[in-house]
Amino acid sequence: MSSSDQEPQPAPVAGSDGPTPPGKAMTLERKLIDEGAQILQSKKPVSQMKQHLCSFALYGHDPCRQIEAHHYAARLNEEVLQCAVYDSDSPSARLIGVEYIVSEAIFEKLPAEEQKLWHSHAYAIKSGALTCPGVPEVMQRQELKGLAKTYGKFWCTWQVDRGDRLPLGAPALMMSMQTGMAQPEMVKRRDEKYEVSSEALKESRKEMPEPEKIHPNADYWKLHGKGFAVDVVQMDMNSPPALAASAI
Amino acid sequence: MTRQVEAHHYCSHQNQDVRQCLIYDSEGPEARLIGVEYMVAEPLFLALPDDEKPLWHSHEYEVKSGMLFMPGLPGLVEHKDLEQVCKTYGKTYHFWQVDRGDELPFGIPQLMMAFTRDGQLREELAKDIEGRYGVSFEKEREKREYMKGPENGIHPLANGAGKGQMLELREVDLPPVSSLPRAFI
Repeated sequence: MSSSDQEPQPAPVAGSDGPTPPGKAMTLERKLIDEGAQILQSKKPVSQMKQHLCSFALYGHDPCRQIEAHHYAARLNEEVLQCAVYDSDSPSARLIGVEYIVSEAIFEKLPAEEQKLWHSHAYAIKSGALTCPGVPEVMQRQELKGLAKTYGKFWCTWQVDRGDRLPLGAPALMMSMQTGMAQPEMVKRRDEKYEVSSEALKESRKEMPEPEKIHPNADYWKLHGKGFAVDVVQMDMNSPPALAASAI
Repeated sequence: MTRQVEAHHYCSHQNQDVRQCLIYDSEGPEARLIGVEYMVAEPLFLALPDDEKPLWHSHEYEVKSGMLFMPGLPGLVEHKDLEQVCKTYGKTYHFWQVDRGDELPFGIPQLMMAFTRDGQLREELAKDIEGRYGVSFEKEREKREYMKGPENGIHPLANGAGKGQMLELREVDLPPVSSLPRAFI
């Protein structure tokens, strides 16, 4: 039930017509509460997201299924970033998952079983699939030079692209764009929207250093012909799941 | 029941009935992004497929017990919001188990449940939060007595349908990578 690679059961919120998500328009009271919270509360963790990266991701259980992904990245230190991932850059964008990015040095020290869940970034960056919207290429290149040698782990929690009007099922593991995979229409649409040319970016990044070789445990599907899906299973009540106490 | 985590939610409204939240382990600039939560109004929860409902948890207890609060907001404003939250259902995944000392987000996501009754929340965790934020769960509980949970009562399939739910990773054979990748445009 609810596995990340399973189509959801038919329901008003799965694959039907209507806005994603469904729901009533915000009331005036709601907006006033939000304004109040905006003024009175600090949002330090969220304000650390300083960069917007636009790229494409593949579903780990079906690499032929691709999405445009907008990462809002915050740097924890020189070697680790954490990103909130959305399906667009508009105020109504849906939060579709989270990606963590680590340096090559950190990735190499991870246990093999963990490495299989991560993907490389070299191809996505050097091919021009990944771009920082609005940032001149000459500046982007500086930042992306460092990112080209990183590895990422991306969990997608809302499969908007298949018509889920609410987040359904278990999280899906995502993978990065690799050679020959990019769906041309999808890239063209993105390029037109941001007035960039992936081809021109690729040309500009030709000399960009990349890892001498991509670690064989990363991009697992590519080398092993196998992907990963996530299932929900019922457990023995003696070992129940973790509970979260919230401060909201 | 043994592993319990303090979670700071930063929420935005998709519309009146749906929120999406980033969850951090603290409120400082160095906070780690540990998960996400989606919150929906009762009618939307009821529209979910039946096999989806157990992945969602109710908020009535957490709101009415006082343990869920909005730091820095005056009580009256906070209560206006919490009256709504009380009736919602949430779906939470954590990716980074900082509470067990993981220095990076290892492993697969965890499906998180909510507290649903007295006696679950560890005393020392409660006291620590109360002390740091200058709140009293007990006093809040009294003030929130008037709040109501979902109109139709807490759905029997919510909160894991009374059973534990966990996630497992499965390797899948992939179809040959064709030259026609799909994108739902």
